Amino acid sequence: MLEPTMRVLIANRGEIAVRIARACRRLGLSTVAIHTDADADAPHVRACDEAARVSSYLDIDEVVAQARRFGCALVHPGYGFLSERAPFAAALEAAGLQLVGPSAAVMERMGRKDAAREIAVAAGVPVVPTGAEAPFPVLVKAAAGGGGKGMRIVRSADEMDEAVAAAKREALSAFGDDTMLVEKYVERGRHIEVQVLADAHGHVVHLFERDCSTQRRHQKVLEEAPAPTITAEVRELVTSSAVALAAHVGYENAGTVEFLLDTAPSETGEAAVYFLEMNTRLQVEHPVTEAVVRVDGQPLDLVELQLRVAAGEPLPFTQDDVTVSGHAIEARVYAEDSFGGFLPQAGTASIVRWPAGQGIRVDHALEGGQVVSTSYDPMLGKVIAHGPDRESARDALVAALEETAVLGLTTNTGFLRTLVESEAFRDATIDTAWLDRVDVGTDVPAPEADVPRVMAAWVSAMITAFDAGHPFQADGFRLGGPPAPTLVELDRDVSVDRHAGTVDGVPFVMLSAEDHVIDAVVDGHRDHAVVNVQPDVVEVSYRGQRFVLTPPDRLADTAAAGDGVLLAPMPGTVLDVRVAEGQQVAEGDVLGMMEAMKMELTLKAPFAGTVTAVGAAAGHQVALGARLFVVEQEEAG
Amino acid sequence: MPADLKDLVADLRERLAAARLGGSEAARTKHTDRGKLLVRDRVDALLDPGSPFLELSPLAATGMYGDAVPSAGVVTGIGRVSGRECVIVANDATVKGGTYYPMTVKKHLRAQTVASDNHLPCLYLVDSGGAFLPMQDEVFPDREHFGRIFFNQANLSARGIPQVASVMGSCTAGGAYVPAMSDETVIVRNQGTIFLGGPPLVKAATGEVVSAEDLGGGDVHARTSGVVDHLADDDRHALAIVRSIVDTFERPQPRSIQTHEVEEPAEDPATLYDVVPADTRTPYDVREVIRRIVDGSRFHEFKKLYAETLVTGFARIWGMPVGIVANNGILFGESALKGAHFIELCNQRGIPLVFLQNITGFMVGREYENKGIARDGAKLVTAVACSVVPKFTVVIGGSFGAGNYGMCGRAYDPRFLWMWPNARISVMGGEQAASVLATVAGRPDDEDFKAPIRDQYETQGSPYYSTARLWDDGVIDPADTRRVLGMGLAAASHAPIPEPSYGIFRM
Repeated sequence: MLEPTMRVLIANRGEIAVRIARACRRLGLSTVAIHTDADADAPHVRACDEAARVSSYLDIDEVVAQARRFGCALVHPGYGFLSERAPFAAALEAAGLQLVGPSAAVMERMGRKDAAREIAVAAGVPVVPTGAEAPFPVLVKAAAGGGGKGMRIVRSADEMDEAVAAAKREALSAFGDDTMLVEKYVERGRHIEVQVLADAHGHVVHLFERDCSTQRRHQKVLEEAPAPTITAEVRELVTSSAVALAAHVGYENAGTVEFLLDTAPSETGEAAVYFLEMNTRLQVEHPVTEAVVRVDGQPLDLVELQLRVAAGEPLPFTQDDVTVSGHAIEARVYAEDSFGGFLPQAGTASIVRWPAGQGIRVDHALEGGQVVSTSYDPMLGKVIAHGPDRESARDALVAALEETAVLGLTTNTGFLRTLVESEAFRDATIDTAWLDRVDVGTDVPAPEADVPRVMAAWVSAMITAFDAGHPFQADGFRLGGPPAPTLVELDRDVSVDRHAGTVDGVPFVMLSAEDHVIDAVVDGHRDHAVVNVQPDVVEVSYRGQRFVLTPPDRLADTAAAGDGVLLAPMPGTVLDVRVAEGQQVAEGDVLGMMEAMKMELTLKAPFAGTVTAVGAAAGHQVALGARLFVVEQEEAG
Repeated sequence: MPADLKDLVADLRERLAAARLGGSEAARTKHTDRGKLLVRDRVDALLDPGSPFLELSPLAATGMYGDAVPSAGVVTGIGRVSGRECVIVANDATVKGGTYYPMTVKKHLRAQTVASDNHLPCLYLVDSGGAFLPMQDEVFPDREHFGRIFFNQANLSARGIPQVASVMGSCTAGGAYVPAMSDETVIVRNQGTIFLGGPPLVKAATGEVVSAEDLGGGDVHARTSGVVDHLADDDRHALAIVRSIVDTFERPQPRSIQTHEVEEPAEDPATLYDVVPADTRTPYDVREVIRRIVDGSRFHEFKKLYAETLVTGFARIWGMPVGIVANNGILFGESALKGAHFIELCNQRGIPLVFLQNITGFMVGREYENKGIARDGAKLVTAVACSVVPKFTVVIGGSFGAGNYGMCGRAYDPRFLWMWPNARISVMGGEQAASVLATVAGRPDDEDFKAPIRDQYETQGSPYYSTARLWDDGVIDPADTRRVLGMGLAAASHAPIPEPSYGIFRM
């Protein structure tokens, strides 16, 4: 039984640790956070009653030791980190502590893909056809493989021999083993997963399915429940299979059984669904299930159920009690620049605004002033919208993402908003490889900077006008004429005419400006954005997208760099010449090196262009002012 | 029937708008096609965002050389750069290549005087072909001609008043000395050139054929000759460098004029149009003007009951204390004595003086001459001439005869002198001049003799005739009087106020 005296160690960080702590607090359980030095003041630490320092979230011995030291009866692993490490489960078992999750043995069995497949077959769960059973197209892959080496997609029987031979050759040279596996290749698949819950008393229920097809490089981006494209038969198939699998292995606690749904109709016209793997933990996307699943008309708290099951309580309901109400979609907010090649981002969050409102849930661990590093998972939070149907949930999520503003570092929020709003997502045609296949800039276009720039310029001009109360106040006064527009330096110069109410000639009416939120009519269209204008940085969050409009430092790169003629700054010896005449160079490319007065000097291209003259050769002595290189600038445009 | 004051202001605005365009459309297009900013855009980009600009004599040279030289081809004024008030002198290359006409020289020198009087750094945005050769006799040789510009630069620099030049176009012949004489100089690559003799002159003199860029372009002067200190890519870059240079100056010393909390006038300055008759001959109470200029419309009047044709008293403008001397009728001996007393008070207390000039002159006639009005007038003129506090003059109506002197006309070195569009200025009224001259000629009733004299005075008495010749610092909208005086006071507060001393007052 779950007792109020029980203490829970939360072996995680970030939003999931905060979310677990919240559930524990509601249940009256005291909590112990673990943290590294860098996280000593992190939100998850503040969310817990006590905190224990660890050198790493992955250090099993330390985490177990802290759990014992604080007398924690239960250890919730969250997701990631140690959540699916059987040795961790085993270490807790050995220490007499209870993991909020399955036993080490079950974790071990389900953690191995080949073993999991066998279990699935034994439990009557459909798996991807292999060997001779597999219809074309098939994937031929090295058993020892990885990284795409020794892998071929084969679309017909007559290509088979050649493809296998080629794959074998590759595999042999790469892995020293040419054992080949053949399995059905699903060209366009949807990711369907089923939430299961099992207690220690042999009860297993499912909480219906989720669709997490919107992925990028196997990283889920959007998740929803219920799955929008499956038939009742497929739903029945996946949910019953999931329950059968969990029952078969004697699973305890919350888990997720993942399937791949082939969107191409099979020869028999039936939808083909294949078991992928089982995740033996709480999933990131569990809130969409919580949002739609009802028992006696009430929503569930999966963490609470996990804790109760871990404490030995039986599930308080049966499968027949479980119903689904409405539709929910979750979007994962990552510290990454989606429109800039999905590069990971780091920095200090300056302004953070999470959305709120009817049907909106936000699980996050990011506040203003917080440092986001690339040391940990880049997920900053999740925005979940629930509505009576998919369209209303989708509309609500678009609006919620529009309200989400993170400044100080770039996040994928603007990308998420555009994606959720897209026709492809609306029509549920996005398969698991879609984001890897499309051109993001074209198919999920980045919001334009025009409106954000106009707003930032107006705010800058407003701030400028705060300099008042003296005859040289910044009101643009001109003799016998209208006040001069305020010239605002942003990523480019913008002329703000507050007198005429225009920004670069575009009509602008400010409706309100409070707490960085600007509500205005720009060129006849009402719009809003979060604007942060500081002396050293100008940023706008518009439609979830962060725009950095800070002016370039006009003095930083003076013209002294540049007519493209590089002269020897001292008499000396040329050490190295790295370019030839006619060669294209980028700004900053090293053209050559010279040594003079015991110093090594690197000669770099002052701008992108073509090397039109090379007056140096390695080993040569050159005089002061000798022409070493000439770079001709590329014509603009 | 004289025009309504509002109509006069509308006319003024039209004239200013036309002058602000600069040169012809063709010249401007040619200028901008080269990637150069127009002169007022340069000024705007140099100024701090939102900075006001107290432009000086924008209507200079109007009508003097045909319509060819708007603003005398140079924009001058005071604005804020990197947080401090500076004098800006910027050539307009769209006006006759930015060459110096007589009035261009006068305007440039006047800006330097403003800098000198008020201790303001000078920023020169140079884009000029040098002296306007056809008028070389009026721009080159005399004391207050072209050479004086460099004399001033040297002496201003000697007094610690920074001299900064940005070469954004030609800087030929004498013009080459503007950057060369500056403390710190910027040049725009492939645009600015500095040489004593341009390529045609070089070819004529020595036969050497050389391009302008190789002769005196940005790279030459930044890398080889050392004539300039900073090399810029374009206008905006150059202006950013100038701003950065100003940012390195020491912050100004404490201001010489105290500042208190600013209070708007209780009476809206815009209602000046309603209280001031456009015809200078129509009498009205000048206190109505004062109430629309000073903080809280509060005026501590001095000797209110004595010599009522001259109003004197203390007030504040933009929080700064001023002593106001305003005509409210003709000057009598008592008025002059009252004025002299009040001016001494202001000098004693270090309070700047504001003269609101609307004067037809001193009273004439046997009674007044015999009582010695000239003696009393001389006291006023002495007090005005020897004042050490900053003086500001606004001609709000007539400015005739010795009244001009006693009320701090241009010859008495007010820091600034502005005119309202209804102002009239001449040694005496046209009618009086015609009568005097007709009488002297023995043709007292000859209308044919008098009419051209009246016409001459009518033309030359116009504020636009005055402002074209730099007799003032500009014709202003009366509603701007308070603001303009405030800016003038703020500018003046950079210079210290010396101890007062006077010449002999004729007793």
